[in-house]
Amino acid sequence: MIKIFKIKNIQIGMRIYKNFNYAVIITIGIIAAGCGAGGDNQGLEYAPNMYHSVPYEGLSQITDEGSGEATQFLNNPSDGHGEYYNSNPYNKNRMTMRTPPANTVKRNKYGFLPYRIPKDSIDYASRVLKSPIDSSMTAAAIQDGKILYGKYCDHCHGPKGEGDGLIASPPANDPDGLPVFAGVANLQSDAFKNMTEGHIFHVITWGKGLMGAHGSQVSPEDRWKIAKYVKSIQK
Amino acid sequence: MTQKRLLTRVFLSFTLFGCFYISNTLALAPADEIPTDAARISEGQAIFDSNCKTCHRVHDKLVGPALKEVYNVAPSIDWIVNFVHNSSKVIASGDPYAVALYDEYNKTQMTHFPSISRDQILSILGYIKQETEKGPAVAAVVSTGGGDANASGDAGVPAIYIDAILIGLIIVLVLILVVLVLITTILRKYLNQRDDLDDADREIVNPTFSFDLLVKSKPFIFIVTFLFVAIAFKVVINNLYAVGVQKNYAPKQPIAFSHKIHAGTYEIDCNYCHTGVNKSKNANIPSPNICMNCHGSIKTESPEIQKIYAAIENDKPIEWIRVHNLPDLAYFNHSQHVVVGGIECQTCHGPIEEMDVVKQASLLTMGWCIDCHRQTDVNTKDNGYYDNLVELHKEESKSALKVEDIGGLECSKCHY
Repeated sequence: MIKIFKIKNIQIGMRIYKNFNYAVIITIGIIAAGCGAGGDNQGLEYAPNMYHSVPYEGLSQITDEGSGEATQFLNNPSDGHGEYYNSNPYNKNRMTMRTPPANTVKRNKYGFLPYRIPKDSIDYASRVLKSPIDSSMTAAAIQDGKILYGKYCDHCHGPKGEGDGLIASPPANDPDGLPVFAGVANLQSDAFKNMTEGHIFHVITWGKGLMGAHGSQVSPEDRWKIAKYVKSIQK
Repeated sequence: MTQKRLLTRVFLSFTLFGCFYISNTLALAPADEIPTDAARISEGQAIFDSNCKTCHRVHDKLVGPALKEVYNVAPSIDWIVNFVHNSSKVIASGDPYAVALYDEYNKTQMTHFPSISRDQILSILGYIKQETEKGPAVAAVVSTGGGDANASGDAGVPAIYIDAILIGLIIVLVLILVVLVLITTILRKYLNQRDDLDDADREIVNPTFSFDLLVKSKPFIFIVTFLFVAIAFKVVINNLYAVGVQKNYAPKQPIAFSHKIHAGTYEIDCNYCHTGVNKSKNANIPSPNICMNCHGSIKTESPEIQKIYAAIENDKPIEWIRVHNLPDLAYFNHSQHVVVGGIECQTCHGPIEEMDVVKQASLLTMGWCIDCHRQTDVNTKDNGYYDNLVELHKEESKSALKVEDIGGLECSKCHY
């Protein structure tokens, strides 16, 4: 009995050996198939220490301190964490970005200082603010304003400012339905016909009613250009 | 006779009282002022559509209250006129109805419309009255499935005919096969009956087919091995080329933001959120305050939107997963390509406006960069900077000025 058993074992061993070559090819194939990216799989990185920025960089932040430990045998791990770790431990949430220090002013080529009229002083802003765009630059400003309006305003206020942008209109398949975002001002309506450019500038900066504050997205010079353009389409 | 008289008197007195009652209520209710003629109603509709419609509907509560029966509900017509002209003044005066409304609608201030005259407001009320009496529009039952039956008709031949033709063809083929089998059997029988055949011929007439022999035959083994090795080789090579290439990488993001809805359905410009693309190396990921420009009031109950609120409340950044990543050794600048080059976002990022989950659509390999730099004409139009370069280029070459001609293939332009 024992003898037969042994022979059987040897036979199985032989068979595995015979098929070993195929097994190698299939295994390589399976491993290699894992190299391509797709879905949540980032794929295999070639020379990963070239991909990951060692200095702090905007839009990428690796918070895992063990990340890239495997490459540490090449250099001396004096800093106590993996090579790819690039978070700033001294910032809030270990972010690499920081908000500007208090009481500092962003410089720009036009010398604009930050807008300081508070949100609730809209009437004051409408009266006092004057557009820095003089008549010689108006045509160019309106041209720029049109492009900027398309980027920042069109989807709510609509191409002609009639408050009929895609978000503020009833859904395409149901003309009687309610819009996703109701209450978008019709800039052609009587209530807004006479608003000043300063008023528009103030509202873009701070928002009004349901409209959010767009001051962080649109620079002051762009806001003035948009104001010029809005006045031009109201005529 | 007296009975009849009494009845008439009672009837008369009822009629009189009725008339008096009706006229009295009319005098109390402001409704008599509201115009009913078609001209003024259509005027009212026009003013309503251009001024009121964004915040008010007749039968639905929108930003402001539904306006049906507003002429009965509001304290008076004069109150309505004052409120339309200057709502804040009415609220500031401490009018209890106005203050209650203001509080009910989260202290949303109604825009002032001092330019709409009292008569125009009455026309609007006429329109509202007409709509109120009409009742809410019954939602039209649009059968979305109805169109499907005819949909395939657009393609020329309906799918059902194609299926029928295919089935017919298969039946014909099977019939031909049967006929052929019949012919061979008859022929074989006939040949077997003949006596003048030698052994070789008999071998042909009655072939001995063995599957085992076929499998063990050298040509068969060779073909199978060759095919197997070739396919395996191809798979291995393909995958080795995919090393370090992250095309098709589409990670699940912490918030299920859909570009298909925002950039596709609602056509919001890419720049609205990715504001840095015109000014900076990076196209920057919007911070939650940009989301809040709309989502302060849109889909506020959605669990995905709630994640934005949580991020703002806890002052914690949303940790989006980076999809496109160039190695640190290559320099790439968005503003240079978008502003100066005038390249569309989709050229490199693919059809973003159709993606629910963002996928890396391009290879982002050096070869991919170089290919584009070889093929793309420089956007020299209306750009004085290039005038001299274009002149010099024209002297040497007849083709348009490509990116490679202005140093787009220099190593140190991107690697330094």
